[in-house]
Amino acid sequence: MRQFTKGFAALALAAGLAFAQGAAAQGTLRIGMTAADIPLTTGQTDQGGEGMRFMGYTVYDSLIEWDLTSADKPSVLIPGLASEWAVDAEDKTKWTFKLREGVTFHDGSPFTSEVVVWNLDKLLDETSEQYDSRQAAQGKSRIPAVASYTAVDEYTLEIVTKEPDATLPYQLAWILMSSKAQFEALGKDWEAFAATPSGTGPWKLETFVPRERAEMVPNTDYWDEARIPKLDKMVLIPLPEPNARAAALLSGQVDWIEAPAPDTIPAMTGNGFVISSNAYPHNWTWHLSRVDGSPWNDIRVRKAANLAIDREGMGALLGGLMVPAKGFLPPSSQWFGEPTFDVRYDPEEAKALLAEAGYSVENPLKVKALISPSGSGQMLPLPMNEYIQQSLAEVGIEVEFMVVEWNQMINLWRAGAADPAVEGSESINFTYFIQDPFTGLIRHLSCDLIAPNGTNWGHYCDPEMQALFEQIKTTFDPAEQDAVLRKTHEKFVNDALFLMVTHDVAPRALSPKVKGFVQAQNWYQNFSSITME
Amino acid sequence: MSAVETLEEPVAESGKGYWSGVGARLMRDPLTLLCMSVILLLILSAVFAPWLGLADPYKGSMIARLKPIGTPGHILGTDEQGRDMLARLIYGGRLTLFIGLTPVVLAFFIGGTLGIVAGYAGGWVNTLIMRTVDVFFAFPSVLLAIAISGALGAGIVNSLVSLTIVFIPPLTRVAEAVTSGVRALDYIDAARASGANALTVIRVHVIGNVLSPIFVYATSLTSVCMILAAGLSFLGIGVRPPEPEWGLMLNTLRSAIYVNPWLSALPGLMIFITSLCLNLLSDGVRSAMNVRD
Amino acid sequence: MFSYFLRRVILMLPVAFGVSVICFMLVQIAPGDPLTAIMPVDATADEQAAMRAVYGLDKPLPVQYAIWIGNLAQGDMGRSIASGRPVAGEVFGAVNNSLLLAFSAAVIAFPIGIFLGFLAGYFRDSWIDRVVTAISIAGVSVPNYWLGIVLVIIFSVNLGWLPSMGAGPGGSQDWSWDWLHMRHLVLPAVTLAVVPIGIVARTVRALAGDLLTQDFVQALYAKGMSRGDVLRHVARNAAATALSVMGLQLGYLLGGSILIETVFNWPGSGFLLSNAIFQRDLPLLQGTILVLALFFVGMNLIVDVAQAAIDPRIKRS
Repeated sequence: MRQFTKGFAALALAAGLAFAQGAAAQGTLRIGMTAADIPLTTGQTDQGGEGMRFMGYTVYDSLIEWDLTSADKPSVLIPGLASEWAVDAEDKTKWTFKLREGVTFHDGSPFTSEVVVWNLDKLLDETSEQYDSRQAAQGKSRIPAVASYTAVDEYTLEIVTKEPDATLPYQLAWILMSSKAQFEALGKDWEAFAATPSGTGPWKLETFVPRERAEMVPNTDYWDEARIPKLDKMVLIPLPEPNARAAALLSGQVDWIEAPAPDTIPAMTGNGFVISSNAYPHNWTWHLSRVDGSPWNDIRVRKAANLAIDREGMGALLGGLMVPAKGFLPPSSQWFGEPTFDVRYDPEEAKALLAEAGYSVENPLKVKALISPSGSGQMLPLPMNEYIQQSLAEVGIEVEFMVVEWNQMINLWRAGAADPAVEGSESINFTYFIQDPFTGLIRHLSCDLIAPNGTNWGHYCDPEMQALFEQIKTTFDPAEQDAVLRKTHEKFVNDALFLMVTHDVAPRALSPKVKGFVQAQNWYQNFSSITME
Repeated sequence: MSAVETLEEPVAESGKGYWSGVGARLMRDPLTLLCMSVILLLILSAVFAPWLGLADPYKGSMIARLKPIGTPGHILGTDEQGRDMLARLIYGGRLTLFIGLTPVVLAFFIGGTLGIVAGYAGGWVNTLIMRTVDVFFAFPSVLLAIAISGALGAGIVNSLVSLTIVFIPPLTRVAEAVTSGVRALDYIDAARASGANALTVIRVHVIGNVLSPIFVYATSLTSVCMILAAGLSFLGIGVRPPEPEWGLMLNTLRSAIYVNPWLSALPGLMIFITSLCLNLLSDGVRSAMNVRD
Repeated sequence: MFSYFLRRVILMLPVAFGVSVICFMLVQIAPGDPLTAIMPVDATADEQAAMRAVYGLDKPLPVQYAIWIGNLAQGDMGRSIASGRPVAGEVFGAVNNSLLLAFSAAVIAFPIGIFLGFLAGYFRDSWIDRVVTAISIAGVSVPNYWLGIVLVIIFSVNLGWLPSMGAGPGGSQDWSWDWLHMRHLVLPAVTLAVVPIGIVARTVRALAGDLLTQDFVQALYAKGMSRGDVLRHVARNAAATALSVMGLQLGYLLGGSILIETVFNWPGSGFLLSNAIFQRDLPLLQGTILVLALFFVGMNLIVDVAQAAIDPRIKRS
C-alpha cells in the first residue's frame, strides 16, 4: 500500500514538474533522423544518403564536393579538399589534383596528398594496415574508375583511371577523408577511431551513443570560413518510426525531423512548425524489363503507360509533397534537356496507343510488377502503386503485383529481370539516387552493367545509348559534358524507357525556432548557416 | 470389483449430465452470454461479410481519404487510402479472428496430443517431449512469436506457424500434468490390468477426464493469441498489406492519429473489445465447467 | 537446499543448450541476405562475396554454429553486421535499459496488482470485487501497444507533460535517478504495467479468496486470532504462488517490452531486436534472443528456488 501511494505520488509529481523542464540550451539543434542507428562514424558512412548527409559531409570532407548553398538552382560540383583538378591533355586516364593547403584534421594533423593515398588504400588495398572492410563495403563501388594513385608532392596527387572517364570528379565526391594521425594515435584500431573520429569537416563529433544519439560541435578552425557552423551544438537522434518522429517533434524533444509522414503534416503546420522541401535528384519509377517477350519492348505500350497516370491526382496522397515526373530526372535538373515526348496525363492518347498495339480495356495487356511495401526512399509504395494499378486499368493495362519485402527487393534488383527469382515480373518499383551521371543515367541502361554484373535491371542494351554513355565518359569539358548528358536524358524520355511517375521533395519538418536553413537541391545539406532562436 | 465403480465415477462427470449442467450454469450467467453473443456476432459478420452489402474493403479513393466517422456512405469513415472503414473492420475481423484463434485450436490438438502421450507413456517418451517443450518454454511468448515471425518474414501462414509454435508448449505442459495425474489414479491401472489396450484406455478414460481442463486452459489463451497476432501485424511482421487486419490497420492508421484520432482508434478498440469478450467468456466457461486453475 | 539448487542448475543446462540451437537455427531459416542492408546497391558480386567471407557467412551451417558457440563460450558473441559493433556490448547495454523499464513497470504493477487482488479476494462477491475484476480483465485485454500510442498523444503531444521517446535527455548512457531522466520512463513503464496489474490482481484475488474460505482460516478465527493476524497468515501462504507468478511476469515484461519499446523508441532489447529483424542482422538477432531467453531461464530458476525456500513442500514435487 505504501509503495502504491509512492507510485501515485510519482505520477502526481510527473504532472507538477512537467513544465519545470523547458527547452534545451540556446543554439542546440536536435534532429530526428529516419535511420535506425547512428551512421558509421569512421569516414565512409553507411545508412545511404542520410548517412552521408549527417555523418559524412558534416565531420568529413571529400576532394570534390557538392555546392549546397543555393535552394534555387541544381547543385553542382565545387572544389573541396582539392582546390583544382585537371585531366592530362595527352593521356586522358591521368588526373592531377592540387590539394588545399593549410587544412588540418580535428586532431591537428595536416591534410596532405599522402593522407589521400592512405585513405584510398583504406578502401582499395586489402593488404594495407588501414584497410577497413566496413568502409570498403561502402566506398569501393563508388570509385570504379580508379586504377592507381600516387602522391606527387605534399599537395599534389595523381590518379590514373582504368579507361578515360570524365565522371571521375563525381565519383570522388563520395570519398571522405579520415585522419591518418588519429588512426595511428589510437593504436591503428578503427573501432577506437569510431568512438573519437577525426576529419576535416565543419563539425566535430563530440560524443555518440550507438543507436541513440550523436552530438556534434563546430570546428572553429574550418578551412572554409563561410561554412563554420553558427550553432553551439547539433544532436542527431535516430527515430526510424515515422510516428515516433512526429510525436518527438510535436512534444518538443527534437527541433527538426526528416521525412514527416504526410498525414502528420497538417498537425505540424497547425502548431506552427515549418515544412521545408525542395526538388532533388530522386526518382520514383517502374524500371521496365526489356528481356525477350516483355510487353514493355513495345514503345507504344511504354508511352501509353506514361500517359495513363494522373500524377497531380497522386499528389493528394502525398500531401502535395512531390514533383510530378516530366522525365527521368527532375524537371529542374541541369541535365533535363528538351525531350519531345511530353510526359503528361492523357488517357485518350494512351488508349489510342494501346489500341494500335492491340490492347483495350476489354482486352487488356497483362503485366506483372514487382513492388515492396516499404523501403528507404520508396515514399508510400503501396498506395502509390495501387493508384498506378487503377490508372493503368482504366486504359487497358492490367497489373498483377508481386509484393516482396525491402531486403528481398534489393536482392531482386541486383538479380535482374531475367533471373528466375523475379518470377517473370516485368517491372520493378525501385527508387533511385540520381545525383551524378553514373548513378543518374549510366548505371541503369549501360550494356556492360546488365544484371547481375551491374544495376541494369531490365537488360536494356542499345548501341545508340551506349555511344552516348561513352561520350559522357570521354567529354572532359564540363559544359560540353552537360550537353551530352542532356542529350542522353532526352533519349531516356523520348523512348519512354521507364514508367516515370514522381520525384520526392525531401520534406523535413522544422520547429519555428530553426532559422537560416537553405534546402539545397541535393541529397546532402549544409547545416552551417543554421541558428536557433 | 471396485474398479468398476471407480471407472464410472470420473467419467460420469464429463458425461451427459455434466454437460447439461455446464449449459445450465452458462445460461444463468448474463455477462458470459453477452460476450458469447458479441463473439458470435463478430464471427458471423466475418463469415458472411461478402453478403452484407458492404463496400469493397480493398477499393480506395485518394479523394475520399480519412473521412470522419459518420460520413454519409461511410458510416465509420474511410482509412488512409479512402477505403470504407466499416467494411475493413468487418473483413478485418475475419483475418484477425482467424489468425487469433486458429493457432490456439491447432496448438490445442498438437499440444494436447503431445501432452497426453507424454503423460500416459511416461519414461523416455515423456522425457523427450517434455524436455523439448522446456526449451521452448525458455522463451517468453512474445519474444518467441516475434523471433519466429521475424525470421520467417511477414505473411499469414508464417504468423499461424509462429503463433502455433508459441502455444504448443503451455498446452502440452497442462495436458501432460493432467494426464499424469489421471494416470496415477487407481482405476486406470485397473483398466490396464484388465487387458485393455493403451489406445482404448486413453480414449475412454484419459481423454474424457483431461479434456475439460485443457480446453478451459486453451480458451484462456485465445485473447493473448489474438493480441499477439495483431501485435505482429502492428510490428510489420504479420499480415501483409493491403489485407484488412486490425493490427495492421492500427499500424497504417497510426500517422492519421493527428488528423482523425477517433478513426485511427477504431481497430485498437476492436482488438480490445474482442479480447475482453474472449477473456470474460473463458472465465465464464471455466466456472461453468467447474475447472480450477 | 543447496542440493536442490544444484539439481535445478544441472536440469537447466540441456535447456540452455536447446535454447542456443533454436536461437541459431531461427535466424538461419530467415529468407533475405544480411548484407543487403549494409552494402550500397551498386556493390558488385565480388565485393559482396568478400564481405560474406569477412562475416564467415560462406561456411556450412554446422561449422558456423560450432564457431558461434565456441566464441560464445569465450564471451564473444560476434559482431553486428549492420553496425559492426560487438554484439555483446550492444545486447547488454540494451538489456540493461529493458531491465530498467521492466523493473519500473513491475514496481508500478505489483503493488497495485497485489493491493487490488487482495481487496477483491477479501471482499469477494461485493461490488469492490466486481470493480477490481473489471479492471484486471480490462488490463489483460488491452493491446498495450495501442494504449502506448494513445498515452503519447494525450500526455506528450496534447498536454506536453511527458516526453514521448528516448531514455533521457542525453541518451541511456548517462542515466541517473533524477526527474529529468525518470520522466522519460513514466509513459513506457505505465503502459507496460497495465497487463501485469491485471494478471497479478487476478492471481492474488484467487489466492486470497481461496485461503480465506479454507477451513484452517476458520480454525484460526476459532482459535481467537485477530483479523490482522489471520490476514498475515493468509498472506504468507499465498506468497509462494504469488512470487512465482510475479517472477514469471518479470520475465514476460522483459520479453514483452518489444512492442512498447518500438512505440516509445526506448533503447532496449526489444528495440534492438526489431531493428535486427528488419536489417536481417543475424549475429545481433541471435545474440539478443539468446540473452533474453537465458535471462528468462535464469529467472525461472530463481523463482523455483525462492519458492522452495518459502514453502519447502514444493521441493519434493
